[in-house]
Amino acid sequence: MAIPTAEVAPAALDAAPRSRRTRLTREQRRDQRRNRLAAQGGRRIGSHVLLIIMAIYFVIPIWWLFVAATKSTGSLFSSPAFWFDNPAAFFTNVAGLFEHQNGIYWTWLGNSFVYSFVSGTGATIVAVLAGYGFAKYRFKGRGFVFGMILGSVMVPLTALVIPQFMLLSQYGLINTGWAVILPSLLNPFGVYLMRVYTQDSVPDELLEASRIDGAGEWRTFTTIVLPLLRPAIVTVLLLSIVGTWNNFFLPLAMLTDPRTLPVTVGLNRWLTLSNAGAGGEQVWNLITSGAFISVLPLLLSFLLLQRYWQGGLTLGSVK
Amino acid sequence: MTTHAVAAPPARTGRHRSGIERRQRVGWLFVAPFLVIFAAFLIFPLIYAFGMSLFSSTLATGTKFVGLDNYLKAFTDPLFLGGLGRVALYALVMIPAQLVVALVAALLLDNLATWLSKASRLLIFAPYAIPVVIGALMWSFLYSPRFGPAGTIFELFGLDAPNFLSSGTIFFSLVNVVTWQWSGYYMIVIYAALRSIDPAIYEAARIDGANGWQIATRIKVPMISSSMIMVITFALIGTLQFFTEPTVLRSVASGALPADYTPNMYAFALAFSYSQFNYASTIAFSLAIVVFIGSFGFLFLTRKQNGLK
Amino acid sequence: MKSKILAGVGIAAVAAAALTGCSSSDGSSAEASCTNKIVNEDATQVSVWAWYPAFEDVVDEFNNTHDDVQICWTNAGQGNDEYTKFSTAIESGSGAPDVIMLEAEVLSSFSIRDALVDLSEYGAADVKDNYTEGAWKDVSSGDSVYAIPVDGGPMGMLYRKDILDQYGIAAPTTWDEFGAAAQKLKDAGAPGVLANFPPNGRAFTQAMFAQNGSVPFVYDNANPTDIGIDVNDQGSKDVLAYWEDLASKGLVNVDEAFTADYNTKLVDGTYAIYLAAAWGPGYLQGLEGSDESAQWQAAPLPQWDAADPVQVNWGGSTFAVTSQAKDKEAAATVAKDVFGTEQAWKIGIEKAALFPLWKPILESDYFRDLEYPFFGGQQINKDVFLDAAAGYKGFTFSPFQNYAYDQLQQEVTAVVVDASKDSATALDDLQATLEKYATEQGFTLQ
Repeated sequence: MAIPTAEVAPAALDAAPRSRRTRLTREQRRDQRRNRLAAQGGRRIGSHVLLIIMAIYFVIPIWWLFVAATKSTGSLFSSPAFWFDNPAAFFTNVAGLFEHQNGIYWTWLGNSFVYSFVSGTGATIVAVLAGYGFAKYRFKGRGFVFGMILGSVMVPLTALVIPQFMLLSQYGLINTGWAVILPSLLNPFGVYLMRVYTQDSVPDELLEASRIDGAGEWRTFTTIVLPLLRPAIVTVLLLSIVGTWNNFFLPLAMLTDPRTLPVTVGLNRWLTLSNAGAGGEQVWNLITSGAFISVLPLLLSFLLLQRYWQGGLTLGSVK
Repeated sequence: MTTHAVAAPPARTGRHRSGIERRQRVGWLFVAPFLVIFAAFLIFPLIYAFGMSLFSSTLATGTKFVGLDNYLKAFTDPLFLGGLGRVALYALVMIPAQLVVALVAALLLDNLATWLSKASRLLIFAPYAIPVVIGALMWSFLYSPRFGPAGTIFELFGLDAPNFLSSGTIFFSLVNVVTWQWSGYYMIVIYAALRSIDPAIYEAARIDGANGWQIATRIKVPMISSSMIMVITFALIGTLQFFTEPTVLRSVASGALPADYTPNMYAFALAFSYSQFNYASTIAFSLAIVVFIGSFGFLFLTRKQNGLK
Repeated sequence: MKSKILAGVGIAAVAAAALTGCSSSDGSSAEASCTNKIVNEDATQVSVWAWYPAFEDVVDEFNNTHDDVQICWTNAGQGNDEYTKFSTAIESGSGAPDVIMLEAEVLSSFSIRDALVDLSEYGAADVKDNYTEGAWKDVSSGDSVYAIPVDGGPMGMLYRKDILDQYGIAAPTTWDEFGAAAQKLKDAGAPGVLANFPPNGRAFTQAMFAQNGSVPFVYDNANPTDIGIDVNDQGSKDVLAYWEDLASKGLVNVDEAFTADYNTKLVDGTYAIYLAAAWGPGYLQGLEGSDESAQWQAAPLPQWDAADPVQVNWGGSTFAVTSQAKDKEAAATVAKDVFGTEQAWKIGIEKAALFPLWKPILESDYFRDLEYPFFGGQQINKDVFLDAAAGYKGFTFSPFQNYAYDQLQQEVTAVVVDASKDSATALDDLQATLEKYATEQGFTLQ
């Protein structure tokens, strides 16, 4: 008996001969159902246990970070890794974050916010426009350009750093936030997602109708298309923001002045300082608490915006 | 849900043709902002970097044009080839690892709807919120023979904790870090694809007597094959360009992780440690060629399942 | 209307960014953003990259005492992080500071790319007598002078008196005694080892070789395409074999230096001896996890031949003027003067635990008689480091020192960690690798 496959299944529903269904007696079907539910119950517990084990694996380092953030440097090196020592040290650490180097940590955090939101918003706007253009307009060279965009993710960033540095340096943008924001406006994956989603959820008929009604292209776009794209827009926005927030290599290469650094590069500076000798400083407690505080915004936003993640990442994967 | 363009009326009035042309222009306009940034920050640097890769600059004698000789040098460079072999090995191990974890988690989540499963979903996805640098920092502490929990845990079993950062074990340590970092993201992609399958199909299958395992393997997995292919492709590109995690772990394991451990790291070291910017460009482009061949090759091999046009 | 909200947020964010971005993007990058305060706005500003945190006070000291020149300081990262940025700036033609802090070991790597100004044309000779012979040699190449020395790392031996006393071991003065002490410590069942030999020692390893007569590189910027490489000399082989022997018997550890693990082992008694540079004491004091009962003392470095002591140096930094400096005169003044006063050095010694190479302080009674509470009041300069600094004859680094160090680390790791090669083969391999690299890079081997 063939297990129904994707294509066959709907037909099977219709075509299943009645004779097959009544082959099982009522009692047999009831037994089957009971067995299945019992098995499901057992399987449910098993599934939950497996899921919880997996969840624990993924949480362990984060838990470590949380515990580490509440310790002083001395206790970091002497107390067991996974449990608290003197949680009140957390407040000393936070105070330290305000004091050390004139509270530059909070500047870093602010920079991360600004860079992520600005480039995230910008990248989304650009991606939405481009996705719409690719999806709904048949202009010459469209396929080629789109293919080139997708192919671009294959070139390692290491190759591009020097020329990008030179370009930005020409305009005096090195060592400013723009050196991070402008290159981050590039989100080929976002364009891909928007294109696919636009193709799938904006019917051409709607656009035609709007054109016949005399609305201009831009008007059509803003009043009709955009509302339909809302879930995808939010997803691309979130992906872009996370991408820029977590970006390390680009700001490392482009920024020098400590006050322009995002929190990833800043913490790395402290890390190098703590590992090295000759005039360095050991600020392990600030690194752990700083790292912990810096992951909170994203973690919290993940928690609060769950449905967008799930909804959006469907895009482009199932045709 | 594919949409077809409404057939344009065959009228050949000037007005209509200019309408088509106008619409084409508008199409370009929409795409323009992206293309401008793309040209500035990708195309131009690419061309420039490619140009750089055709020159040879030695410390003692300066720069001269050598054309494709650099590429010949790259593809016979034992450090580059060794690095390629390494990342290929990583791909063979890491991608299935991430895929299996992501798939199993997604399948489990698809079957359950309790708050526990929802919480698990969030927790499994959480590492995506953590910058790779901080993730690697956390693991460098956890792997530390002194400060990591390995010592106490292994003591419980009366064993000596292995050194996770020695050259013999660094491979699996890195596989672990990457699996931890990215499986959640892939899980969400697969889970989303699973959620969009019409449940009626499962009902039909159950009526025909299929059990959960069969449903999972014979229905769900094939139906989301295009998602999985996408996941594998991105993972492949990322693994071949392996850079950030080994670089961050170098600070605690520079013996096990030399500067040229992966081709991308090699390009970075050539540029920034040894000041060989031209050859670094060559290595980076050579890597891009391999990535291109690898990923498009993979997509070609799976062209039936991947759903791409 | 989410899109409207998004647009609103976007515009607000862009506006905010523009405001913050504008303030830091006037003019060229290195000038506008100073971490310190400029006292005299009209004077010429010289941008400086330096990574010592205590440097800010030194900068303030300079700015308050100089009317015509002001320092604009930025911390661009430590060591290699800063060199990466510098390298990028050189390659792209802009973005480098006027004055940059460099370790002596990388000076040739930058001078060969014409990134550094020859200070002999800017009055370097005026300050030459203020520095020891060894220190000056480190910053010179033939007749050219590429940097002004700041601090150094003459080497000595810091040891845990309490541990050695506990096991009845005398502080070793020769390497033979050192080996014997290591064996005695192990035989007594001590939980730790005598010392650590880090495979990623880089400059440390090279200093150990140098102490036994190794002269790995012969290089002069006057003939920039010629280089002499001799890393597999017998002296180096003997030293590496010595450590290979100790490591294989488990008498020393081979932990990588500058990790959290290593840092703790330094201070919790796992290592009874720390073969250190003069900046070691400052380093130790900043580490966490210290043993409460620790009693540290300083002694001279063990010697191969007690009758003929050889002093070596590990680390230290200098100030160089970059070729992208707009006002080279002013930049040279800064390089020469910033650590050329007593006040600056008081700050450097007391706050950053630097070891001065500037003779007026180095040879002063203040420095000589300085008592260090960390060492129970011992006058470690008088006992150890002054002689080490005075006896140091200087060292020549290669113009591809980063590469050389990476290869050295790989070979040493193969010998002492993986035990896959013996020391003679490893150094022969290193010689071959470096020769090949030098030839590829267009050098002529001498």
